[in-house]
Amino acid sequence: MERFLPCLYAFLACAGFSIVFEIRKPLFIFLSCVTGAVGWLVYLLLAEIGSDVVRYLLATIVVSLLSEIFARMLKAPATIFLVIGIVPLVPGGGLYYAMDYLLNGNYAMFAQKGLETAACAGAIAAGVSVVTSIVRMAASRRPENPKQKNE
Amino acid sequence: MHSKHVELCLNFCCEVGRQLIRNGAEIYRVEESASRMLAAYGYPDAEVFAVPSCVIISIHYGERNYTKSVRIKSSANNLDKLDRLNALCRSVCRDVPEIETATQELRAIIGRPAYPAWVSYLGHGCVAAFFTLFWGGHALDAAIAFLCGMIVKAAVGYMVRRNANAFFINLIASMLLVMVPVTLTYAGCAAIHTDKIIIGAIMLLVPGIAITNVMRDVIIGDFMTAISKLAEVLLVAMAIAVGIAIPFGIAHALFGGI
Repeated sequence: MERFLPCLYAFLACAGFSIVFEIRKPLFIFLSCVTGAVGWLVYLLLAEIGSDVVRYLLATIVVSLLSEIFARMLKAPATIFLVIGIVPLVPGGGLYYAMDYLLNGNYAMFAQKGLETAACAGAIAAGVSVVTSIVRMAASRRPENPKQKNE
Repeated sequence: MHSKHVELCLNFCCEVGRQLIRNGAEIYRVEESASRMLAAYGYPDAEVFAVPSCVIISIHYGERNYTKSVRIKSSANNLDKLDRLNALCRSVCRDVPEIETATQELRAIIGRPAYPAWVSYLGHGCVAAFFTLFWGGHALDAAIAFLCGMIVKAAVGYMVRRNANAFFINLIASMLLVMVPVTLTYAGCAAIHTDKIIIGAIMLLVPGIAITNVMRDVIIGDFMTAISKLAEVLLVAMAIAVGIAIPFGIAHALFGGI
């Protein structure tokens, strides 16, 4: 059970972030916290995969999907849930340790940590992008969608 | 419809665009919202162009062209206002209220108060504390991080009021927050995890909205926005890195390694 304690911390940290970004509706705060906690839960559950990049990618896809679903349900911008929900996945630790190695002149470890962090950031970007693209593609085919501006 | 109506619509849509950008909307949302609202008001061939620092709207109506541009200088990152602006755009497209009514609703949204200061301080502290726990810190680390989070809020709030630039704000804020655990460590408090505290508190400065929007805008194909936002993200990241490095460097030079 202790393994999943970080999910609770992620949930509470996201609650703090909801206040930092001035979200007012309690339901929105709750759902963005859920998004963040579920994202980290997926990351933890995929521990067997081994590859950090794949774990980050899949966790981000889940976070983006959740945000889009909440956004459709509540007719709110997906950004609200995405901005908060993605924060626990930001590889802050990697960034910090990479910089720490750089400051101490350990260039080999700096390169390793730095590349690792960059790869994880890339995986997160890819995850968000894929989901956004699919959702937009699906949405623009709906007939009741207001007509697109003619070019 | 007459030219007064065109002007009012132009003013309304420009202001909505400005507020959307200030409060963290993606650029494609700004362009889409403005052109849909203008279409709802009877100007289907209006052109809307937005970048993170500017919105330009042109309407061709009758014999004349009407253009307005607004400059966006500061950001507020208020997701509550973003949600309400989005709802306003939807209701304008659906019900097409009088433009005067819509403008009044917009004013009401702009005037909405933020959280009181103490709630905001508490929020900042909680983010730092829980992220410290999240990254593996102990309860004592979390308590120190809580203090660091409040320092960040105070420093950023003060410098934003003084119109400091993003680089300087993040540099100073990260410097101040790092000073607390570094000072404690050198004062003989060896039980704390400096790294965990810093990682937890630094989350407050990570430009989350800019990072998320850059990914969403680049996918839509808005590369100009993506590049300018990416520049912002990299600049802030650099400022944070330098800000963290300075206190360590000073401490190391003065007192030697731990």
